Amino acid sequence: MEPEVSNQSLLFLIVFVLVPLTLSYYYQLGMSKDIVWSSIRGTIQLFVVGYILTFLFDLNPYIGIPLMVSIMIVIATFHARNKGKELPNAFGVILLGLITVEGSVLALWLAFDMVEFRPSEVIPMSGMIIGNSMVAMGLALERMKSEFTENSGRLMAALSLGAKPNQASHLIITKTLNAALIPNVDRLKTIGLVQLPGMMTGLILGGVEPVMAIKYQLVISLSIFSSVSLSAMFVTMAMYRYFFNKNDQLLESEEELRTQSK
Amino acid sequence: MAQPIFSFKGVTDDILKDLNFNIYTNEKVMLFGPSGAGKSSLLFLFNRLRDPKGGKIEFKDRPITEYEISNLRRKVGLLLQSSNLFPGTVLDNLKYGPSLCGEWNPEDAKKLLEYVQLPESYMNRKVDQLSGGEQQRVSLGRTLANSPEVLLLDEPTSALDYRTSEEIEEVLERLVDEHQLTMVMVTHDLRQAKRLGERGLFLMDGEIIEDAPLQTMLTKPKTAELKDFIQE
Ligand SMILES: Nc1ncnc2c1ncn2[C@@H]1O[C@H](COP(=O)(O)OP(=O)(O)OP(=O)(O)O)[C@@H](O)[C@H]1O
Ligand SMILES: [Mg+2]
Repeated sequence: MEPEVSNQSLLFLIVFVLVPLTLSYYYQLGMSKDIVWSSIRGTIQLFVVGYILTFLFDLNPYIGIPLMVSIMIVIATFHARNKGKELPNAFGVILLGLITVEGSVLALWLAFDMVEFRPSEVIPMSGMIIGNSMVAMGLALERMKSEFTENSGRLMAALSLGAKPNQASHLIITKTLNAALIPNVDRLKTIGLVQLPGMMTGLILGGVEPVMAIKYQLVISLSIFSSVSLSAMFVTMAMYRYFFNKNDQLLESEEELRTQSK
Repeated sequence: MAQPIFSFKGVTDDILKDLNFNIYTNEKVMLFGPSGAGKSSLLFLFNRLRDPKGGKIEFKDRPITEYEISNLRRKVGLLLQSSNLFPGTVLDNLKYGPSLCGEWNPEDAKKLLEYVQLPESYMNRKVDQLSGGEQQRVSLGRTLANSPEVLLLDEPTSALDYRTSEEIEEVLERLVDEHQLTMVMVTHDLRQAKRLGERGLFLMDGEIIEDAPLQTMLTKPKTAELKDFIQE
């Protein structure tokens, strides 16, 4: 049994758009244009991706997979870099981080036969890994910046007591990593209880046995968990040094961060 | 007079303009001046929390840049304006500096608490449960744990009330005396300066405009700026 949403039924999706549209009109939220535009844009985007995926799935996996994975990594890098523009080398660090994370996860999947080297499996699963890692890196960067600003007094105190930057940053690194990991631990704890994870829902709707769907979900959830941890760790460890100069002095302004040449 | 322990020659940066002065061993120097004059900026040059753009700073006859930076900072201890304690217990804070180089001796904990006149029972208290004055004592103990030769203080009592300030002054007075420390202290408070210091440096807009024994400075200020400052 192939489940299918017919084109006619798709048309009735308009009802779902009409609800917020009516609300916006009635309460004069002034969002009507936005709602219409984002619905159209979202629809077109998805269809385009659908066609691209069909095209990629037909390609030789040795071409299709590297091609799509690289594109995803580059886009994700640009996106995560926005959170740390004032830090030197943020782009390179994030790019390297994503390559490392995706590379090692993919290697594990293939080595233990959890995923087959087929575009239809590797690409969506990699998408989830890269997407989640991207968010984790962005969050870690933001968190690290705010921790450094908030704790500049403590950092100066630590340096004054003879601490090296890695020793002085210890506190901040722990806090950043904690903040990056806690939501993921929480998510793992309630998985399946509060909300059926997206991929599992998709597989079940697609007619896959729930237990089979759960196996896939386990693979992806745990993979995401470890990639997110690895990502946060990677950027934190790679970037904290840029908050100091080579004389173990704390850089205090964005300008100092940007202009230091190292 | 004794050897200069610090010597500033033509020291200049964005804020400070061509500073030339010596600090002598065991001297107690009070640095004061209006807000924004560059007092903290100047203090941070002594332990290389910042470096000047131009000029030369010597510590014990050698350019300050020749010292290994962590060793220099251990010898030239700094107490920041707000206490900036690390989360954890009093003990965690006291042993932070020495532990960094594996030189912590647990016996020292008691001695340090005694220096700053805190009861031994405070050892395992969490620092966020202490009063402002107690926190500042712990900070001072934490700085002393490295056995510095020079003690830099950036308005150590500005966040404290009058009574607590006096208690801290008492602790400082004794410590500096007992340990033969050289002290450079930033303060807004002339009464405090008179109590703890012997020489004054009056800083304004990044320039030292008076440098004299405190007594002379406060009774016979040479410049109109200092006169105004004293009157406030
Ligand atoms: N990190 C920094 N980057 C750029 N300018 C700074 C920095 N820190 C301080 N300044 C500026 O340098 C000047 C001197 O600051 P400093 O903190 O040394 O003054 P201060 O005499 O200690 O003042 P206060 O009594 O208020 O503590 C001020 O104009 C200040 O705005
Ligand atoms: Mg200051």
